[in-house]
Amino acid sequence: MKDLKHLIYLENLLQNANNELITQAKSEGKICVGYLCENSPEPLLNVGNAFSVRLTAPNSGSMDIATYYMTNLLCETSRAILERAVEGGFNFADCLITPDGCTMLNRGAENIELLHAMGKDNDKFFYQYMEIPMKADENGVALLKVQSENHILKPLHEVYGIDISEESIRKSVADHNEICNIIRQLGDFRKEEKPRITGYEFAVLTLATYRAPKYLLKDILNETLEEVKTREPDEKAYRARVLVVGSEGDDPEFIKLIEDTGAYVCADRYCFGSLPGRDPIILNDEEDALTQICRQYTMRAQCPRYMNMEKVYGRKQYVYDLAKEYKADGVLYQQIKFCDPWAYERTLGSAMLRDDYGMPVLSVDRPYNIKSSMGQMRTRVQAFVESLEIKKIQGGAK
Amino acid sequence: MSKVLKILLKIFLCVFGLFAVTFLIYFFNLDMKATSMIEPFLIKHYDNMERKYYL
Amino acid sequence: MEVIKNPVKRAGEQTLGQLYNTGKVRKRREWRGIKDTFYDYTRWLYLVSVLARFIAVPRNIKGFFRYRWMANYLGVMHGMDKFTIGLRDEALRITHISMNYVIADVTQAIANCFRGDRRVGNDVEYSKRCVLTDENSMTCFMMGFDKDETPAILREVPTMFAANIFNQNSTTHYLDVAQQYGIAGDVCPMPEAEAGISIEDDFCVLGACAVQNNTTCDGSLMGNGIIAKRLEREYGIPTFQLGTPLRHTEDDVQDYAAQEIKNAIAFIEEHTGHKWNWDTYFKCAKRVNDATRKRIAQLEINSSPYPQFVGACFSLYNDTNYMGNCGRNEGFVKKDEKLLKLAEKGYKNKRMLAPEYRHRAIIWGVQPQYTIDMLYWLIQCWGIVPLADMLSLVNTKMIAEEDTPENREQAYYDMAMLNEEMIMRNHTHGGYKVLVDELWETCEKMHADMVIMWEHMSCKALTGMHGQFEEQARERGLHLIWVGHDLCDPRVYTREAIRNQVNLYMRAVLREEPLDPSIEHLPDDNAW
Repeated sequence: MKDLKHLIYLENLLQNANNELITQAKSEGKICVGYLCENSPEPLLNVGNAFSVRLTAPNSGSMDIATYYMTNLLCETSRAILERAVEGGFNFADCLITPDGCTMLNRGAENIELLHAMGKDNDKFFYQYMEIPMKADENGVALLKVQSENHILKPLHEVYGIDISEESIRKSVADHNEICNIIRQLGDFRKEEKPRITGYEFAVLTLATYRAPKYLLKDILNETLEEVKTREPDEKAYRARVLVVGSEGDDPEFIKLIEDTGAYVCADRYCFGSLPGRDPIILNDEEDALTQICRQYTMRAQCPRYMNMEKVYGRKQYVYDLAKEYKADGVLYQQIKFCDPWAYERTLGSAMLRDDYGMPVLSVDRPYNIKSSMGQMRTRVQAFVESLEIKKIQGGAK
Repeated sequence: MSKVLKILLKIFLCVFGLFAVTFLIYFFNLDMKATSMIEPFLIKHYDNMERKYYL
Repeated sequence: MEVIKNPVKRAGEQTLGQLYNTGKVRKRREWRGIKDTFYDYTRWLYLVSVLARFIAVPRNIKGFFRYRWMANYLGVMHGMDKFTIGLRDEALRITHISMNYVIADVTQAIANCFRGDRRVGNDVEYSKRCVLTDENSMTCFMMGFDKDETPAILREVPTMFAANIFNQNSTTHYLDVAQQYGIAGDVCPMPEAEAGISIEDDFCVLGACAVQNNTTCDGSLMGNGIIAKRLEREYGIPTFQLGTPLRHTEDDVQDYAAQEIKNAIAFIEEHTGHKWNWDTYFKCAKRVNDATRKRIAQLEINSSPYPQFVGACFSLYNDTNYMGNCGRNEGFVKKDEKLLKLAEKGYKNKRMLAPEYRHRAIIWGVQPQYTIDMLYWLIQCWGIVPLADMLSLVNTKMIAEEDTPENREQAYYDMAMLNEEMIMRNHTHGGYKVLVDELWETCEKMHADMVIMWEHMSCKALTGMHGQFEEQARERGLHLIWVGHDLCDPRVYTREAIRNQVNLYMRAVLREEPLDPSIEHLPDDNAW
């Protein structure tokens, strides 16, 4: 296929946590809200003059300092983020708002606070920790609403004077939805038999929407959407279509590795992915926007920390439904090593998808930066892709 | 020796005997030594049981 | 700190190392002088009678041969011996009274499990009245249900938690099962072993319903799903997940927590058909407050130069009383009273547990059950007195105990608070302040000069603050000894490897010699 016009620009943009679009937004007087977890209601982090950036640590190598503070037994995501913060890589942010989602990311954020590793030269810098529900019910919605008020909206308003009115929130949702709709339209091309966009390209585009101010990406994304609409797909057939499911995935190189084996990543159900992260938020006029946002975040969340059994079973059903919708031949469950929530979710998910839904599954753990373990991972993915291919050749025999 | 005394002596001997035996078991840890010998057989029994390993 | 010498020479055995060999159990029991040996012997007889009464019931024999974890109870007496090493006088009595009661409680829990178990006793009527709860769960949501009419069955306690005290290898088989199934080897072995028990279908099956909790960590929360799936889909036992806020010190989570308690109670009422009784609740509340007062009093004694109720038995007794019982068992009130009287007597008589006290230590982190005798070893080998451990430092607040309309609403918040302040979670979650800052406050309060830091390698909440502990202890001039372990998997850290971390610090950093060199290194890696 012809290269996408903005792909290299976006790839380069993702090479640093502090990218040029963040610098531009800051120079325009915007307030940068750093956050760490998909359970944070994103439109609320983008109200008024604020814009959100999900903190990542691209190209992480040594994590010596973070390992001293958190030992080598904690997941590399939390350590990589702490390391990057200690290196001064997140000083562009004006605050850090993070839910007490998984223990390790929370400890990462707390170490950042204790080490004063963010907010250099910004007296107004603040840290906020949120409690988020563990169950999808109205009690959970009420909790998320209170937490969002107390730990996102009020501090942003009180410290930075940000407009947190109903109108402002609704406008933020509309802007958010605009981006979601573009990503969703781009993502729908992945359902095609001969897709016009690769899984890797889509991962780069999606990731950029978490990592840069959305309003500065809008034109690029729109242009890319138009480009893809008329793009001629490759004639070559992919060996297998794979749905990737799992924990924090902010490294598009992992998707590239899968596709380098001849597979096609047709759907992305992981933190930093588009499903359900880029589902638009539908608001009605009967209820206040904040409650509706919180309800949709609570009900749609696919995070394994949601522990009511409807959610536990629902997560597997969701994966299966995606596999059907995106015509996946197999499911790849991945987790960052040492991640407790996904260690269990990956196990139960793999077992249920395989035994109850009859889907072929590959279950792997991986490092934060896939480049540190390319060979091992490629071998495992290759073997999986080969097995899917053989199944296809044999007419789907199990 | 009166009958009562004989009975008392018997009771005393019984109690003392019981005490002596149980105290020896207690002090030389014979109870645990015995159960530790049983354990391997029990483990073998559990290993041989049919199990449903699926969820 | 200033070394305190014991003016009284310990009766009986002076070198404790001679009791050990490389076998599963000890060579013989300890000679403690005539009076204390006889006391220890009578307690042994009592425990024999408890176990004999248990095994005399035919269904319990059936259960014994059905469930692998029952084999661990062959070592009950050995487990008890681990708690009493080197102890004399009041300390010996305190340990026996508390631990004997815990053992009797666990024995009753097993008997209850077998009674209702579909595979063993199959008492259907009984089973229909029971509510299953997590092993680490605070059972406050059962306070308004009569304990006999609606029994709470903590089926994971005898299966996993208590079993590891008596036999260090009790969980290894289940860990292998879980890992064979696909669960990673780096998660906390406690919920992982529980998941393994469920995967192997080795839990008793009973109950009208089950209440699970995000007890102490992500692993514990996540293990619930695997267990609940089997309960619900295979055995038709409905489960309720009780969500407890992690940031429990914040005011803005309390409404959520209270509502969760209400929902749990409604769920139990629906599935058992039994109604919540406020009279029963407030009676329990009085007992909870009584237990809280006594626990605080014990800690006060421990902050003096002559601590009495120390070691693992303190946390295990509190755990059983505060969480497993939570006011429902009247028996604990009398035991609490007796224990406090003994501790006060010991304090008055300036009783010491070792020939000398060189260091006063706070035990932080989570103890590995399979080295349950470690704290007694610290006392006897190095003269380090464990004043309090993190797991015992639970709720100190009083809850409403008078039945008034306002207090009925307050009660939900009180139960939520008890739940949030349960062992481990009240320190490992809720932000770094409750984990790090409260350690230093406890050290100050208890006049400690040392911290024994259990570093459970799979406990992410603890290890995530490793560097902060290290730096802040240094700033405060406290001796912080890292003691790494893997909670209930002795294959990762053996007992000797665990103790050696202390030995190295004591010799290399503090340049001290052991009080009893015969136990500095023990050949007990193969022991139960």
